[in-house]
Amino acid sequence: MRLLKKSLHYFLLLIAVQYACVDKQNLDQFDDLSVTPTVASSLVYVESPEEVINNAAGANFYAQDFNFDAFNEDFFAERVLEGSITYEIENTTSKPLEITISFLDDASNVLDTETFLIDAAPTAVLTREIFYGGATGRSLDIIRNTSGIRVFGLNLGDNTSVSTLPDPRIVLRSSGRFRLRLR
Amino acid sequence: MNRKHFIFFFLLLLSTLIRAQNKQLLYDFVEIPQALMLNPGMETGYDWYAGIPGLSGIYAQGATSGLSVDDIFADDGLDINDKVRNRAVFGLGIRDNQSLTGQIEVLSGGFRSRKRPQDFYSFGIYGESDWINYWPRDLAILAYEGNADRIGERFDLSHLKTRGDVLSVFHFGVNRQLNRQLTAGVRAKLYSSILNYTSTSNDGYFLTRQGQNNLLTNILVADMRLRSSGLRALENAADEDVSEVTSTILGRGLLGGDLGLGLDFGFTYKLNPQTVITASILDLGFIYHFSDVDNFSLQGRAANEGVEIILPDALDDPGADFWQELVDEIEALIPFGEDTRSYVTFRPTKLYGSIKYSWGMPRSSFAQDCDCDVTATARANRNIYRNSVGGQLFVVNRPRGPQAALTAFYDRRLGNFLALRSTYTLDKYSMTNFGLGLSLQAGPVNFYILADNLLAYQNLAAAHTASFQFGLNILSWGDN
Repeated sequence: MRLLKKSLHYFLLLIAVQYACVDKQNLDQFDDLSVTPTVASSLVYVESPEEVINNAAGANFYAQDFNFDAFNEDFFAERVLEGSITYEIENTTSKPLEITISFLDDASNVLDTETFLIDAAPTAVLTREIFYGGATGRSLDIIRNTSGIRVFGLNLGDNTSVSTLPDPRIVLRSSGRFRLRLR
Repeated sequence: MNRKHFIFFFLLLLSTLIRAQNKQLLYDFVEIPQALMLNPGMETGYDWYAGIPGLSGIYAQGATSGLSVDDIFADDGLDINDKVRNRAVFGLGIRDNQSLTGQIEVLSGGFRSRKRPQDFYSFGIYGESDWINYWPRDLAILAYEGNADRIGERFDLSHLKTRGDVLSVFHFGVNRQLNRQLTAGVRAKLYSSILNYTSTSNDGYFLTRQGQNNLLTNILVADMRLRSSGLRALENAADEDVSEVTSTILGRGLLGGDLGLGLDFGFTYKLNPQTVITASILDLGFIYHFSDVDNFSLQGRAANEGVEIILPDALDDPGADFWQELVDEIEALIPFGEDTRSYVTFRPTKLYGSIKYSWGMPRSSFAQDCDCDVTATARANRNIYRNSVGGQLFVVNRPRGPQAALTAFYDRRLGNFLALRSTYTLDKYSMTNFGLGLSLQAGPVNFYILADNLLAYQNLAAAHTASFQFGLNILSWGDN
């Protein structure tokens, strides 16, 4: 019986002691945990052949407002911390052009405008990155409240000449890169 | 309890209480009737036993491979963001997993046949929950870092593998001593699934690369499925009140849910009076899920370069909603499907095997070198050796392939009332897993307690795995 008591004693003591040992944990660290992925995607692509520009009734060869809900989706708007939009304009037409991109809110009010002047071909590809949020960027509210985009294309040259380059056209490319707070 | 405390205790529970279903301390622990559940062909010395309802077998096992609570929450002065990044997001591989298993016996009993004393019948009901999640490495990296700085990198959707079950099991087993060397057994099981979810056959990838027209292309190729049953019934019950949830669980657990069948097989063979080999295969079975089924799928391929306005085509429809067209196009290419089709899941089949060598005869007058027969006196003398040493193999079928464990054990018997077992187990979760088990027989009352990975409990938060089991039975070695 002594042996039994002794065995039980050691077993239970071992379990109790082992279960009692936990190194100091600092749960407050959880408050410092930050999960902020940076996501990237193309936004808008606009392409117009020189023929369309020449055939336009006036200098304005394209003007269009369209719905764009990527930014004001709750998941994005509530989590966006900062980011940038990169534009790339390539002009292979024979005329200088002006492209304007405006961000619109629900009531079609203009929140932000970016204008691109690009020389007639041959000319380098124009690249511009616009920052939002952070210390120096434009207001993030522009992004959060954007629900539409206005594209405006203006011909600053003639409407008869045709570029000697193959397949002459104006192309606007754009992509966004935004950091989100998931936690 | 605030959220972080809840998460801490959940992780602690996850990493310390429970593990991959290996019950190395209980397997072939012949003094404990519940060991019959691990080998229906185990040698049985008793004439009958009855588990105390709700107390005869309570078992919890948990495991995390590659990461412990201590790795993240230790008060070590390191930035938690560095620890999460280095030890979890980029430290874990797709074979690392987190698992929880729990079992509780509701009813348990067994008796020896009067007409054929070599036959021992056992039966019962137990509830079981089993959850496993493999670390979805690529999805974790995508969520933690995003895609912006990982242009050209594929995020593999097949990394998502997870499965959970809550079910009750009705079982009846027959154990027969075929001759002095061989005992064999079989157990039939009727599964009653309370809830199940399965998402183990996913495929596809997410990729961002340089675009063809625009600057970037996001490509999603998906073949993903999540199948579930019972969740809707519980959700509807939860909308009512707590008692409705209880009655739904009981209803589905008492054969009112999805049903399935399974079999266990096992044997014990004496190579000589002191050397024994055993093996068993458990849960060769399936469950047919047909009630409250909700299945979800995402299948297809889509490439997105944003809103495209191409003149002169865009001039034809000045009122076009380019954004909605883009959304509709993506949804058409990768439709999110929902259906209620029945499905079948297979139980995680387990395999045990062992070899045991025993020595040390007691000084009892009953002692004999035992090629024991099935008479009561002879049965009582079956396990008379004071010492046993041996090895065990355990393999369980998991969604990402079999998981194995090797165990060495030493048993010590003190008279007819106390049996002790110590084990050392080697598996993917731990290289230092020492366990200890005790079975105490006080008159007709049998009490047992088993716990493993004792060394790791020196710092509970750092443990990757542990299990704990105890139970209370009434049993008899006398003639019935």
